[in-house]
Amino acid sequence: MKGKKLATIILLLISTSIAQARIKLVALPERSATVIRLDNPQATLIEEERVLTLQKGLNKVDFSWKGVSIDADSIRLKVLDHPGNVTLLNVSYPPAEAALVWEISSDSDYAETVRISYLLMNIDRLITYKAIADKAETEVDLKSYLVLRNFSGEDFEQARVLLDYGEAFEQGIDHEETKQMLFLKAPKVPITKIWTFDAEKLPWDPEQLENRNVGIPVSYRIKNETKSGLGQFALWGGKARLFQDDGQKSTIFLGEDTTGLVPAGEKMELYIGDSRDIVVTQRKMKDIRINVRRNNSNRVVLYDTDEIITAKIENFKDSKAVLTMIQHIPGQWDMEECNMKYERKDAYTLKFEIELGAHDKKELKMHYHRRNIRP
Amino acid sequence: MKRIFAFLTIFIMVHTAQAKIDLVTLPSRDTVQLTIYNSADMTLVRESRALTLKPGNNKLQFSWANTLIDPTSLEMLPKASVDKIDIAELSYPPRVRNLGLWNIESGIGGDVPVEITYLTSGLSWRAFYMGTLTKDEKTVRLKGYVRVTNNSGEDYENAQTRLIVGKVHILDQIAELARRQYPYGRPGEIRPLLEYERLDKVMYRKAKPAMQAAADYFEEPKEIKKEGLSEYFLYTIEGTETIPTGWSKRLISFDVENVPVVNLYKYEEERYGEGVVRFLSFKNDKKHKLGDTPIPGGMLKVYRSTDEQQHLGYVGQSAFKYIPVDEDVKLNLGAVANVVVEPMLMDFKTSNHRFNSKGNISGWDEVRTYKIEVRNTREIPVKIEIQRNFNTRYWDLKKSGVYGKYEKVDMDTVKFSLTLKPRTKQEFSYTVTTYHGTRAD
Repeated sequence: MKGKKLATIILLLISTSIAQARIKLVALPERSATVIRLDNPQATLIEEERVLTLQKGLNKVDFSWKGVSIDADSIRLKVLDHPGNVTLLNVSYPPAEAALVWEISSDSDYAETVRISYLLMNIDRLITYKAIADKAETEVDLKSYLVLRNFSGEDFEQARVLLDYGEAFEQGIDHEETKQMLFLKAPKVPITKIWTFDAEKLPWDPEQLENRNVGIPVSYRIKNETKSGLGQFALWGGKARLFQDDGQKSTIFLGEDTTGLVPAGEKMELYIGDSRDIVVTQRKMKDIRINVRRNNSNRVVLYDTDEIITAKIENFKDSKAVLTMIQHIPGQWDMEECNMKYERKDAYTLKFEIELGAHDKKELKMHYHRRNIRP
Repeated sequence: MKRIFAFLTIFIMVHTAQAKIDLVTLPSRDTVQLTIYNSADMTLVRESRALTLKPGNNKLQFSWANTLIDPTSLEMLPKASVDKIDIAELSYPPRVRNLGLWNIESGIGGDVPVEITYLTSGLSWRAFYMGTLTKDEKTVRLKGYVRVTNNSGEDYENAQTRLIVGKVHILDQIAELARRQYPYGRPGEIRPLLEYERLDKVMYRKAKPAMQAAADYFEEPKEIKKEGLSEYFLYTIEGTETIPTGWSKRLISFDVENVPVVNLYKYEEERYGEGVVRFLSFKNDKKHKLGDTPIPGGMLKVYRSTDEQQHLGYVGQSAFKYIPVDEDVKLNLGAVANVVVEPMLMDFKTSNHRFNSKGNISGWDEVRTYKIEVRNTREIPVKIEIQRNFNTRYWDLKKSGVYGKYEKVDMDTVKFSLTLKPRTKQEFSYTVTTYHGTRAD
């Protein structure tokens, strides 16, 4: 094992006569069966097995980790061969040292295999995605990479790396090394392309913006299900880069987004960029007070409104598109007239699915009243 | 100045000496394709190389010092014997910067074509335009250019060059990813190195004079093929281009003669002040000899032919946004004095006062009569749009005279559109009644 900084285990041979001194007798037990467990994004659990040569009676085992980011409180020792005969009595920490001393009682001489586990900081894994959409944007070839980052101070020549799913694999990784491995390949995953205009987030009238285009956010939706060739396990969150086949044996980069954890059965939505070929011009054509009620001092105490909103939607694309339009009406309201079908997402939010043909133009007109408003 | 290197490193154990000898072959770059974005500092590079592999484990070292490559974007794919070659992992070794090591398991020996792709920063392009109006200002000759600049630190020779029109969503700047000490950062913290940033700025500054000198660098005009992909447009420049680092190149994107234009003048006090603003208006469609593709945003400089000898006059310039196919283009060329709009308040009165129980005023109407005088002092016909805002949503309007086309824009804005013959004057009036207090109920 080259460049080992940590995890020197030193057996202390104790003779009762030499009581105080910590004599370290160099019997460095070789590390075997190392497991790096990366299933928890908060911390990485390391398990390693070592053979300790124990003598009958009291044994002191020194474990030190200078320069390595181990959480001292997380260190555990498990006796594997003779759990009934070998007992860990106590753990003590020497002053100003990244070390601890185990006091182990043994009823006989054993070459005892023990498993030491601890939480190691600054070693983790990232997940990244790369997806290549077909030219028609109906499916993607999805690849996921596992990126191991080791800045823990410790070199791992060979270890079994475990994620929360999938097969464990053998991998070595040095301190300050980063390794990227392909670990998921899902071809032809169906996607849905979505354009969304949210009236609360985007400017209403592009003409007022002089020289800026209003981009309508475009996303791809992928479902983590068996029908999509996925659905076996949750997809970890990470950065996703999307490309598209350009039909000329090359690709273009479409955009990138981060995704959160997507459990099996759930949807992943990746925002790729903005469309400037769908233009929404929304205007308020009417907003007046009606049914105004006043108190004895002639002050307005209650009123309704009469409001008209129009939204012109133009598709300058050569292909059809379905625009999801989100409108917001605060407070109590009722619709007097609306020329398009909508779904009430919540009390104050309306969702329209507007189908647009190539080079199509549509106009939404909402005539509504807000009720019982107090000034 | 080639800065990207690929080494095929074969480790041979020489049994007598027990030494490790690195055998290195340098596969040259066979072809390279650049896909350059302009909404972000980003270029997708795709290069093909031929590797000589041996059966079993092969290691390929790829290094990119002094370039602006995002190491996390590196990917290598075999283009032949795909099922026999497994690119198992890409390792970024410790304590070495700008270097990646591919671990390749090969079931075959011999030459294998591979494709290496990555994102880099430092290459950019922008569009700009020149318009030349005919003397009667009825048509314009519109020339579109693109200018590609290479500040990437790498010379790309004979590269197929493609440009992307569109707005991509990116999370991190490629330049920042390129400057990271560790490709994916360290657990817990991600921070670019400041001194590298500073270094880089110096590099850019130095690169500038060369860029300027190269501005008028011209080759035979090449055709640019345009194609829609997803929400983007892909411009493929015919043939290949060589743009050394620090240089830029100007290419013609399109050249269309006799595009019919409307000389549109606008007046809106709240937006443009008291002057009239000139717009050049046309549509990105077939009728205007355009409409094949969207027009990427850029700066347009407008000139006017002044005589038969093709002398020019400078009219003005306008930055414009991306124009989809079939959309109207209105280019703001700035304020003018030769078309005048003068609104005059001719009469003001209040009426219909309402009083509350204490005898105070609780509601009233205000009635204003405006005369709008419009003068075209030019020798060509012009179209004028006059927008008026009322600052209240409770109003009524009566119009008289020749007011052209009237339109309610929104709840407190109206628009009058008129066309005036050369050197003519026109007048119209409107009376607006606004309702205040309880009169608004």
